[in-house]
This record gives sequence, structure tokens and C-alpha cells, in this order.
Amino acid sequence: MANPLRGEVVRLYKNLLFLGREYPKGANYFRERLKTAFMKNRDETDPEKIKTLIARGEFVIKELEALYYLRKYRALKKRYYEDD
Amino acid sequence: MASRVLVQCVRSLAPSSRTLYQGSTVSARLPNQRAFSLLSSSQKTRQTNLTRQISSPLGQLCRKYGDLPPLTLETIKDRVLYVLKLYDKINPEKLQTTSHFLKDLGLDSLDQVEIIMAMEDEFGFEIPDVEAEKLMSPQEIVQYIAEKKDVYE
Repeated sequence: MANPLRGEVVRLYKNLLFLGREYPKGANYFRERLKTAFMKNRDETDPEKIKTLIARGEFVIKELEALYYLRKYRALKKRYYEDD
Repeated sequence: MASRVLVQCVRSLAPSSRTLYQGSTVSARLPNQRAFSLLSSSQKTRQTNLTRQISSPLGQLCRKYGDLPPLTLETIKDRVLYVLKLYDKINPEKLQTTSHFLKDLGLDSLDQVEIIMAMEDEFGFEIPDVEAEKLMSPQEIVQYIAEKKDVYE
């Protein structure tokens, strides 16, 4: 409870959850996967390890943003070049 | 030049809004507002005529701006409990206003974050993380929202 990194983790979870609302496979699918991913490391107490895990979470956020960006781009491309 | 154009605009709008007044209340709203905003630019001659229109009882009824009904402690509580009942991990029968999320309802801290996010969606404002982690029961959420929205009765 008193872990100073707890706030960081909660913030990360919130951000990921927010991004997951537009996930192609549905928000519920994303939410379940996210929950299991967080619960897998629930007993982690080493601050260094927690920091690397948070960094991984930030990386996933970047990946998701790239995914959404690409999806938008593909949708536009499809509309302009339907036949090829 | 500009003032002359404005005078023309107001003159052309004023009769049309008057005729719309007799018609449906919904369509009367738009020309009424537009005439009012034009008024602000020093139109003295038409002012008396227009203010008389706006201050009519029908004019009062028209200006609602699609606002929600005012929040009371009771409605906040109903909405909070409604959101919680829709949450799939909470058993609606076990839910009480005083029940603790972690102790009584068997949720974990990540579920609590999800609940707070649902509340943010429902009431349309953001709850900071520091305050969010103190909200552990429906009662506390109701109190917090009432405080933020200035509801005291």
C-alpha cells in the first residue's frame, strides 16, 4: 500500500484502460488481458523491477497509439484506392 | 457601414422571429438568440422592441440550453448505484451504500480504478488520482461528487 510507485502503476493502468476503449477486438477483451497482465506481477516488490515493468507499460501505450494511427491511415487509403 | 448592415440584419430578423413565436417553441429559439446577440452592438432603436419580446413568458421557456435536471444528493446516489450495478464484477444484491469495495465486495484496487473511471464518465469530470484512491465505498463517492458539484441538500 505504502509503495511510492503505486500511484505510477495506477496511473499507467488508467491510461491503458482509456486507450483500450478503441481496441479493434473490443474494450472488454482488452480489459481482461490488461487485468491479467497487471495481476501477473502483483507481488513484485523490487522498485527496480517495478520501474522496468512500468517502462514496458509505457512502451505498450506507444504501440497502441501507433496501431490506432495506422488504422486511421489504412481506412483513409482504402477509401481512396478501393481497387488495388 | 457595418452598423447599417447590422440594422438591416436586425430588421430582417425581428419580424421573422415574431412570426415564429406564434409557431413551435423549439424553432423560435434560434432566431431569438441571434437577435439578442446582435443587440449588444449599440442598437438603441430596436432595443425596446426586442427586449419586450425576450422578456415575454414564452421567451423564458425557450431558453433552456439542453441542461440536465439539477443534481441532488438523491439523484447522485441513484446514478452512482446504477453505474455500480452495471459493473460486471459486483453482485447487485450485495451492494449497499456503505459497503467497502475491497473488503465487502471482494474487488481489488484495479477494479476500484475502473469504478472511478466509470464515475468520471457518468458525471463528466475528472477525479484526480490522489483523491480517487480514497474513495472506497458508494457513500464516499456520492459525498465527493456532491462536494465537487456544490450540492448540499
